[in-house]
Amino acid sequence: MSVSPFSPAPVQVFESGDAALRVVATSGDAERDWSTVHHLAEWLEACGAEGLHGAVPTYDSVLVEFDVLAVSAQQVRAFVGLGLRQLALAADDGAAPREFDVPVVYGGAYGPDLEAVAQHEGLSVEDIIRLHSSKTYVVRCLGAPAGSPMMDGPAFPLPVPRLKDPRLSVPAGAVSVAGRQAVIAPAVAPGGWQVIGQTPLTLLDIHRDPLVPYKPGDILRFRQIPEGEFADFAGHLMEAGR
Amino acid sequence: MSGTILIQQAGNSVVTDLGRFRGPHYGLPVNGALDQYSAKAANILAGNPENAPLFELTGLDFRMTTTADLLIAVTGAPLTLTVGGRECTQWEPVSVRAGETVAVRGIHGGLRAYVAVHGSVEVPFLLGSCAPDTVVGFGHKLRDGDCLETLRSVPPIRHPYMDMPLFRLGVARPRTAHDHVVEVTDGPDYDEFGESANLLFSSEYTVSPRSNHIGLRLGGDLPERTTTGEVLSRGVPVGAVEVPSREELLVIHRGRGVTAGYPVLAVATSLGLDVLAQARPGDKVRFRRTTVAEATAAYRRSMQQLETLRESVSSVFNLLGIGGPAHWHEVPAAACG
Repeated sequence: MSVSPFSPAPVQVFESGDAALRVVATSGDAERDWSTVHHLAEWLEACGAEGLHGAVPTYDSVLVEFDVLAVSAQQVRAFVGLGLRQLALAADDGAAPREFDVPVVYGGAYGPDLEAVAQHEGLSVEDIIRLHSSKTYVVRCLGAPAGSPMMDGPAFPLPVPRLKDPRLSVPAGAVSVAGRQAVIAPAVAPGGWQVIGQTPLTLLDIHRDPLVPYKPGDILRFRQIPEGEFADFAGHLMEAGR
Repeated sequence: MSGTILIQQAGNSVVTDLGRFRGPHYGLPVNGALDQYSAKAANILAGNPENAPLFELTGLDFRMTTTADLLIAVTGAPLTLTVGGRECTQWEPVSVRAGETVAVRGIHGGLRAYVAVHGSVEVPFLLGSCAPDTVVGFGHKLRDGDCLETLRSVPPIRHPYMDMPLFRLGVARPRTAHDHVVEVTDGPDYDEFGESANLLFSSEYTVSPRSNHIGLRLGGDLPERTTTGEVLSRGVPVGAVEVPSREELLVIHRGRGVTAGYPVLAVATSLGLDVLAQARPGDKVRFRRTTVAEATAAYRRSMQQLETLRESVSSVFNLLGIGGPAHWHEVPAAACG
């Protein structure tokens, strides 16, 4: 846990229509850029400025949405500058990440693209499972659909191509990879990523606050389970182990 | 006094509001009324806060009846509105007696209509909004036979001699046509399209039937990205103009997934999104380039018109003794949470 002052990356601000701005961190250090946009997003969410709808941080950028009637793009730019100066002054609170254990059934009907991914990577199915389940993942951001945990992918030799024909429906719990990224689907949705497995855990519960249990910065680990154990976990809510 | 609204013919309708503005931070789309101007106008004409839950009708006919006297307003695309068989005026407050049927038929020259009821209807909220989110499985798509509680009744207001419209508030209606002009500002990735970006402003595009609340797909001459390589997932603004395939242009609307990895060529203005909300499959769309400063000024002028409308409605309703602040028992439970 760090107590040194946080040093935000330099940023570039782009117009993104009349009701949003895209702020991109440009240090080139992926970890520092990610940290900058997430700290900035939290600051913007907490500052309570009138007219700010919210911030959507991802890897190196954050989309800031606002009410055009209450504030202008120019004023929001000024807020962003203020936020970055505040971050530089504040010590990094370094809140400890929570850790989630995610049981997965790989391959077969649960992971219809497992063999295709193995073939593309020139590896065996067992190697793909081993690489995927031995990595410690950091949730980089909440994405589409429905607050999906977006993560840096496992150490495969090659980026994973997206499906040529995206599926119209991918089940909740689908564990997928694409490019250099990995994700779990919290809800049924169309998808173009390669599905290599499925977790029986429930990620999204609209009666729970927050709707999904993890947040950016938290840790996920995948653990292979046999098909026979899928039903044992079915319907269980995903919860932090510590 | 409360009452019940019975949906007799739901067609293709939902209960929605202006959107889930806190959603994108948690990975949920903003959703909400696609034609925001018409939705706000409907609520204002019905004497509601502009963000009150109301009905959004997409393309198909709709019928409802009520156990209480109501005051309603219908806006959006041109259509035929009848109450108890009498033809009534769109874009004005309309009085409905208990037992009468409100029928909306033949939506044309646009795609979406809005029906606001004075006092609104009681529906559940998620993150401060009742807007349906089909992905997380939240919200109220209306079905035939649905009943909704309305929390305020308004005694009938009728012209004493003839069935003349009682109100003439003169709200500015959006232009309707089958060829649309949508203003856009340069997107953050405009430069990635090189010279071909200009095609966006010189070509005419046709709305594909595969368009919906997530995005509109448009056929025509497509700008082409001059750079290659995977783009990191980024937050996508509503209105983003992207070129995801060689077949179609995609303009992202309010149901969009909040993150994606396509370069953003341009972004439709807030007013441009209202225009797109009314574009039907087969309609023609042209894009006009503008600046954020001009778009902001245009949007604020448009909202000023609604503010003026709110003032007129408020003085007329005060004279008629309609409305006033809600009593505690009229506030939907969901609004207190």
